[in-house]
Amino acid sequence: MITVQNLSFSYSKNPFISNMNFSVGKGEIFGFLGPSGAGKSTLQKILIGMLPTYEGSAVVNGTECRGRANRFYEDIGVDFEFSTMYEKLTARENLQFFSSLYDKRPRPAEELLHMVGLENDADKRVGDYSKGMKARLNFIKALLHDPTLLCLDEPTSGLDPTNSRIMKDMILAEKARGKTILLTTHNMQDATELCDRVAFIVNGKICALDSPHNLIMSRGAAKVSYSWLDHGEHTASCALDSLSRDEKLKSLIAENKLQSIHSSEPTLNDIFMDITGRTLL
Amino acid sequence: MKAIRLSFIHMLLFVRRDMMLLAACLTPFLAGIFFRFAVPFLEKILINWIGTREVLAPYYGLIDLFYCVLTPVMFCFIAAMIILEEHDDHIESYLCITTLGRNGYLISRIVIPAAAAYIITTILLPVFSLTNLSITEFILLPATGTLQAIITALLIVTLSTNKLEGMAVTKISTITILGALIPYFIPGKIQYALSFLPSFWSGKAMQSQKPAYLPISILLALIWIYPLLKKFSKKIS
Repeated sequence: MITVQNLSFSYSKNPFISNMNFSVGKGEIFGFLGPSGAGKSTLQKILIGMLPTYEGSAVVNGTECRGRANRFYEDIGVDFEFSTMYEKLTARENLQFFSSLYDKRPRPAEELLHMVGLENDADKRVGDYSKGMKARLNFIKALLHDPTLLCLDEPTSGLDPTNSRIMKDMILAEKARGKTILLTTHNMQDATELCDRVAFIVNGKICALDSPHNLIMSRGAAKVSYSWLDHGEHTASCALDSLSRDEKLKSLIAENKLQSIHSSEPTLNDIFMDITGRTLL
Repeated sequence: MKAIRLSFIHMLLFVRRDMMLLAACLTPFLAGIFFRFAVPFLEKILINWIGTREVLAPYYGLIDLFYCVLTPVMFCFIAAMIILEEHDDHIESYLCITTLGRNGYLISRIVIPAAAAYIITTILLPVFSLTNLSITEFILLPATGTLQAIITALLIVTLSTNKLEGMAVTKISTITILGALIPYFIPGKIQYALSFLPSFWSGKAMQSQKPAYLPISILLALIWIYPLLKKFSKKIS
């Protein structure tokens, strides 16, 4: 679906993206993770044909991005972090206009509006929408022409937990429909939950690329923490892979004296800090 | 082509909703009627009052020239305001990554309105003109006006980031059109100091009644348009 080879790009004399190599398979959710200014959005802009002056190769749906024709966009849906709607027009008018630009038969606007709970606000001006409503509307605009590739830039940014959940469920539903999804985010929880694979991007370079699970597991086993009561509460911990050798834990289990026990894996953010020496925010 | 057509129709629907932009569309007709009927009437009154043989008549060519610029400038001003509104809503960049594309966007927002203005001016000029123009002038004068209007629109959308700034830049950018006054009011070689303005050569053509100056105006306008277009393309990417 996407093949990137020796990709470099610069806004000035200094390189902004250096020698990137990766590929994304069909039906995969692929995440670009990195702090602000790392090059995630620039990379996405290259892949959607907005920045044709790159070096190397970036092939999307069999087309080299720098040489794309307008038909290239029949199969690409883009959801930017900010609203890209006519604020003076209603949601329905916006969807009608944007769907009319494509040759493909559009997905019914009513169905999409219903999917994101905006069916009763379809005739309201977009300017009167809340941030969460705009984000949901922006998302379904990217689905109107039923593209095979979705590029989502910070899709849950600024959303409350309920709207964030709705958004993530919609992304997973699109994956289930066979779409390939590029997710640009600095939210490691979203990435862990949604992505099949993630690329850590710092200073325009890919520092690590694997599934969230493999990245987490590659940095040592999870810890098991437990507590018990013996003239006050006591706690101890041991590595998950040496659990059977922990005599204290074995005796507490045998005597049914455990107060609590839980495992704690490192988060993707811990791994990111470990690899890059930086936080995601 | 479908996307370009629909994008242009969408722009027209947008104009219909905005009273200020809609009023701007009517200006060429109202101005044409004023120039054709009120100016000669005013000339008669002034001649009787001042007692000279002619007062405004030596400037009829200049009035025709301004009429050729008026319709394109109004249409391109409307287009520029819509582009700025789309810029405020982050839509111009988004439209460039649809099947419309960057070139399609430029065609639907600048080229088609300018072409429409050229056609309308070419049709209306014989009706409202105050001087006896040749066929060459009927074809080339609206062309120079249209190209100057494109320069004005590109200056507005390139130099401003929102509609409010756009209104301010509109006032400044229309100064480029005032170059047509120079050959009429500044005698001698000093007038050539402003010969870098395409409108100067249009004014020169009308003042000296030499249509041969009009191609210079067109060529100069194209030289102005090229870097502005590149800058605008860069802005929307």
